Amino acid sequence: MQTSAAPVLQLTDIEKIYQTKTIETVALHRINLTIGRGEFVSIMGPSGCGKSTLLSLMGLLDEPTHGTVAVDGRPVQSYSDKELAGLRNLKIGFVFQSYHLINDLAVLDNVELPLLYRPGLSGKDRRQRALAALDKVGLSARTNHFPSQLSGGQRQRVAIARALAGAPEIILADEPTGNLDSVMGEEIMDLLLGLNREHGTTIVMVTHDEQQALKTQRLIRLFDGSQVG
Amino acid sequence: MIRHLFTLVWNRRRANFLLITEMFLAFVVLFVVGSLLAYYQRNYRTPLGFAYAQVWRVDLDPGTQPQAGRLATVRQVMARLRALPGVVSVGRTSSNTPFSGSFNNTDVGAGKEGKGATRASGFYVEDDLREVFQVPLVAGRWFGRRDDGAALPPAVLTRDLAEQLFPRQSPLGQVVLRSDEQFRVVGVAERFRSDGDLEALRPVFLMRVSPQDTALGEASTLLLRVRPGAGALLERQMRTETLAIAKGWNVGITTLAKQRAAQLKEALTPIGALVLVCVFLVVNVALGLFGVLWQAINQRRAELGVRRAMGATAGGISKQVVGEVLVLTTFGLLLGLLVAVQFPLLGAFDVPAGVYFTAMAAAAAGLYALAVGCALYPSQLAAGIQPAVALREE
Ligand SMILES: Nc1ncnc2c1ncn2[C@@H]1O[C@H](COP(=O)(O)OP(=O)(O)O)[C@@H](O)[C@H]1O
Ligand SMILES: [Mg+2]
Repeated sequence: MQTSAAPVLQLTDIEKIYQTKTIETVALHRINLTIGRGEFVSIMGPSGCGKSTLLSLMGLLDEPTHGTVAVDGRPVQSYSDKELAGLRNLKIGFVFQSYHLINDLAVLDNVELPLLYRPGLSGKDRRQRALAALDKVGLSARTNHFPSQLSGGQRQRVAIARALAGAPEIILADEPTGNLDSVMGEEIMDLLLGLNREHGTTIVMVTHDEQQALKTQRLIRLFDGSQVG
Repeated sequence: MIRHLFTLVWNRRRANFLLITEMFLAFVVLFVVGSLLAYYQRNYRTPLGFAYAQVWRVDLDPGTQPQAGRLATVRQVMARLRALPGVVSVGRTSSNTPFSGSFNNTDVGAGKEGKGATRASGFYVEDDLREVFQVPLVAGRWFGRRDDGAALPPAVLTRDLAEQLFPRQSPLGQVVLRSDEQFRVVGVAERFRSDGDLEALRPVFLMRVSPQDTALGEASTLLLRVRPGAGALLERQMRTETLAIAKGWNVGITTLAKQRAAQLKEALTPIGALVLVCVFLVVNVALGLFGVLWQAINQRRAELGVRRAMGATAGGISKQVVGEVLVLTTFGLLLGLLVAVQFPLLGAFDVPAGVYFTAMAAAAAGLYALAVGCALYPSQLAAGIQPAVALREE
């Protein structure tokens, strides 16, 4: 793991405008954010305020209309497609709001996915890491199931295991407990807290749960694309 | 990654079933047509075993002319033709001349009892046809005057016939039996593919016609070697000279080169039609494949977006799409090979196994080329998917 004085993620003057034929949506407006190494940050805000958009910018899945996103102090624009893919693979683990599991792959294969794009790992290594990640989310007994055979909560946990499998420096989680019952939600929250505490994993989590947000180190509130407090 | 692709294709087998079936059928079509083409190509490339370029054929038909003296007339005509400056040599033959489309099947066996009789193409030639055909002999000699007084009529065999009848011994001087008539083998020729360029090599049994022989029947077929550059002028000359002797006969003159071209054209026409049908089928498969892939890419945008988010490069995505198609193709190909390999195993159609293996290799290469060709554009589409956009849909 490389260390540097620069923050893991730095967003400067971010503006994100979605342009469709008829309407223009300002999804994010003048966002300035610094996420330090090892921080656990939560993002709250009403539906449609730009939380997912913000997360996908941090996850290097999208580019801002204006402003810069910098990873370890280096602006993302300066990276090639290949380098970006490498960053996404090594540095970032993404938990999507709607899981986005691959329905044609069994649970274990889904969890192995980020490792598949990592050169130099043997099939056995991948399998072991994926199994360990599934164990952490309590799904060891479901490795050969297909996503369609799982409940919403179980799918969410597979999605979390997939993000954990690659042991990334940063985990970006979009409402990771949104579909879980409160007990399971607590467990996942504890898991994330543990990762943050023991491995120093930087975590940015979107949540609707005030109680969970209070357990994190910092809370960012969004409203209509802008930061409020 | 390859293992992952197989897993993916296997898990999507229901969706992929149609594509695999199409690939299978495309392979079978390519294989069948490929076998046919490989077979003809192989035959075409086998030397004919005789020269035909400056060989002309003259048909003399007495029609209603009196029976007596016909052979004498023919001999006179031959002498006159031989005397023409444009003609090198002349000889009589049976009417199944090369490229004529007619042949004379006959069974030939070894020894007086005709052991191990085998099917051959029978052919009558006069001594002078050696100069006309310029058949290289691998052993023994061609027919000649000294055969006039022989106890048994002489025969020249092609090498394949000689080896079948007399394995591991010299055929020269041996007796062979053909339709209850005994012959003595005097020579062995490499081959004599008078059936035509596209027909398979087969055993040939050459028999001598002596100058006085009337065995060839009423009508006489002559073959002539002419000098290079001979053309319409010589043809006119030949006709006039012939009719001056054989008054009232019908005379037909053509060249073996012309007959060969006509025969090739006739044989190639149905092959061309078949190839056209094959091309049509393959184009259909290609269009279907292209459409299905295009649709599949659109249905799998979220999946491809996830892969991008997990660290796949754009190039990696396009490789995956092509890879999946190659895996599908391989499944179709394996099914197809299962069918195709039966042909050489069962020795179908008496075609050498090499022809089938050549066709399999060519069909496999064609199938992969088709697959890659159809996958290229969809794979570019897939590579262009923006993960953030793809992951918001649904
Ligand atoms: N690809 C897109 N095209 C057009 N509008 C979009 C797109 N993505 C998001 N938006 C709009 O941007 C705003 C923020 O969306 P999002 O980030 O998903 O909000 P949240 O996650 O907070 O609910 C919404 O108004 C949404 O409709
Ligand atoms: Mg959202």
